[in-house]
Amino acid sequence: MASVTFQNVFKKFGDLEIIKNLNIHVEDKEFLVLVGPSGCGKTTALRLLAGLEEITDGEIKIGERVVNDVAPKDRDIAMVFQSYALYPHLSVYDNMAFGLKLRKTPKEEIKKRVNDAAEILDITHLLDRKPRQLSGGQRQRVAVGRAIVREPKVFLFDEPLSNLDAKLRVQMRAEISKLHQRLQTTFIYVTHDQTEAMTMASRIAVINKGLLQQLDTPQALYDKPNNLFVAGFIGSPAMNFFSATLNVSDGKVLVETDSFKVQIPEALSAPYKNLGGKNIIFGIRPENIHDPEFAPPNIHGEKVSVKVDVTELMGNETFLYLMSGKNTFIARVDPRSKKRVGDDMQVIFDMDKFHIFDASTEEAVR
Amino acid sequence: MAISKSTQKARKKRQSNLPYLYLLPAFLIMGVITFYPLIYQVIISFTNFESKHLLLGLRSPELEFIGFKNYIDIFTAALPVENFNFFRVLTFNFWWAISNVFLHVPAGVLIATLLNTEGLWLKKIYRAAYILPVVVPPLVVATVWTNIFDERYGAMNQLLAIIGGFFGNPDPVYIRWFEDVKPPIPGFLPGAPLTLAYYAMMIANFWLGWPFMSVVATGALQSIPKDLYEAASIDGATGSQQFWNITVPLLRPAMIPAAVYGFTLSFNLFNFVFFMTGGGPARSTELLVTFAYNLVRNLRWYGVAAAFAVIIFIVALIVFLITNRITRATQNYQEAG
Ligand SMILES: Nc1ncnc2c1ncn2[C@@H]1O[C@H](COP(=O)(O)OP(=O)(O)OP(=O)(O)O)[C@@H](O)[C@H]1O
Ligand SMILES: [Mg+2]
Repeated sequence: MASVTFQNVFKKFGDLEIIKNLNIHVEDKEFLVLVGPSGCGKTTALRLLAGLEEITDGEIKIGERVVNDVAPKDRDIAMVFQSYALYPHLSVYDNMAFGLKLRKTPKEEIKKRVNDAAEILDITHLLDRKPRQLSGGQRQRVAVGRAIVREPKVFLFDEPLSNLDAKLRVQMRAEISKLHQRLQTTFIYVTHDQTEAMTMASRIAVINKGLLQQLDTPQALYDKPNNLFVAGFIGSPAMNFFSATLNVSDGKVLVETDSFKVQIPEALSAPYKNLGGKNIIFGIRPENIHDPEFAPPNIHGEKVSVKVDVTELMGNETFLYLMSGKNTFIARVDPRSKKRVGDDMQVIFDMDKFHIFDASTEEAVR
Repeated sequence: MAISKSTQKARKKRQSNLPYLYLLPAFLIMGVITFYPLIYQVIISFTNFESKHLLLGLRSPELEFIGFKNYIDIFTAALPVENFNFFRVLTFNFWWAISNVFLHVPAGVLIATLLNTEGLWLKKIYRAAYILPVVVPPLVVATVWTNIFDERYGAMNQLLAIIGGFFGNPDPVYIRWFEDVKPPIPGFLPGAPLTLAYYAMMIANFWLGWPFMSVVATGALQSIPKDLYEAASIDGATGSQQFWNITVPLLRPAMIPAAVYGFTLSFNLFNFVFFMTGGGPARSTELLVTFAYNLVRNLRWYGVAAAFAVIIFIVALIVFLITNRITRATQNYQEAG
């Protein structure tokens, strides 16, 4: 068990800077998820930690030990690859036992650990099979099994669920979370799926273009995104954004888009009082836009006139695709809402839950 | 419905007859150039066929059917040929093929693995260079190597002299590679003494043989996913452990058929042996095929040669059946069920 530290880590492939000044400290026993769009450098970061790539500059520590020049096998980590990378010529048992055999673990000990891991992962009946005789989900379990028998200090997962179907993904998500609680070890988990990140992580590191955008708990990321990228990346459907200008008059702060105006509640308006005339991006999440009929009481609601473009009935909720002037956005409303395509209506913006970003720096203003 | 079914059947029948029709010309040609001579050969293997019978063939008045005499003569070394013993030639022939394969395959794999190292400079040039021996005509290769092993002027003896000089022995080296009948390691192969000529041929054929294995291994290496090595390196495998635990087992499905092919190729490597040693000295490097050729070409005993060829055919058939089993037993890990 150990903490993991990335300190001013850079990685270049040729002239291409893939990781730019990465600083992350992962606490012991934490479940950290690295999330970001495809190609942002998540796998690269993980491979740097595993020792499969050399870092160009900076320091990586596992526990108190700097591991820059330590071979992968001596880093005391285990990795689950996206492709699983199971040895095709070895049985499931031998796949899991491979690392232990190389480390000259006594035979009984190997047997015990493999059987225990197989039990946990419910693959005891597959131990004699070859990887090609397994389904995708079973292979995934074997790959996890191979990692846990080693009892490493840190587990690395590179999108282990991306090859599974949606249902299995949900199930395995829960199992990996359970595994983390059971093993009480540091997990570092890479995914580009923000739902996976939100549901599993104790903290999430959002990466874009090789740069760490924000590192915080799932809830904090959701409620207080630091910048436009994080705001747009976390949450599904994504946050609605509007180009707008701040208008301050009589101590009131108004957000003016080209089709509507909404007022920021007095209590929250302090940071914006001196920013009259500033170009901003106004953000609000779909669930904070309500059908007036079902709007919760006691909110600072602001009415906006819209036209319903598309509706998506999900059963437990309804998505309304709305138009206001040139702005299009989504509201996630009560399923009892009777609004239909083509209807003109007013929706309520819950102005206690807005986000404002500087239009040029894209940083949150609050 | 019923109509369409019956027409379907008719069409199916027509379709199933068509391939035979297409194959007919090939069958006819093969019948004339393959099966007829084969049968003819089996027939004359039971006769005392010699050059004087060539004109009238099987209708020659003095041609005698002598039953299995030719076969018995071959097996009991009763032929009036110097230094001939069928079982010694057979043993040598097998040993020759096996020892070549056991040298070429590991060397080919090793070199392919080394050349597969990431970031190696001029990789393409090495790979192109080692194809070269494959395309040089065997006659040229044999001539070059015969010269290399020349007793007085050959590079091999000179090289050995230099190495000897290095260890404080200034004498020139005059090893008679192709004449010396005394085996350097007596009793190495029971039943068939291995003369210096054998070692010379092994060296020369090594040069000819490993590149093919390397080509096959290179192809197979590239189909091994890189992440297996990464997983193994995290699992704790050193470079050589990765080689033995991943590279070797995953190359096996590709290398075994190649080894089988190399075995059959060496087993019947007529031109190379013929040009280099002519089977000598004292028939110690004779293969079954070179000996059969001698019987026809120099002695003109067509009957005996035919019997010999039939024996070779049976040996080759057995070898083929065995190797075929081996090949089929090693299907790709992905495919095998
Ligand atoms: N060995 C390499 N040489 C050159 N460029 C590389 C190499 N490996 C990765 N890259 C580049 O680095 C960038 C980040 O790659 P990385 O695999 O880390 O992305 P990722 O965040 O894991 O994406 P995904 O979600 O698609 O797996 C990509 O633009 C990729 O092209
Ligand atoms: Mg990746």
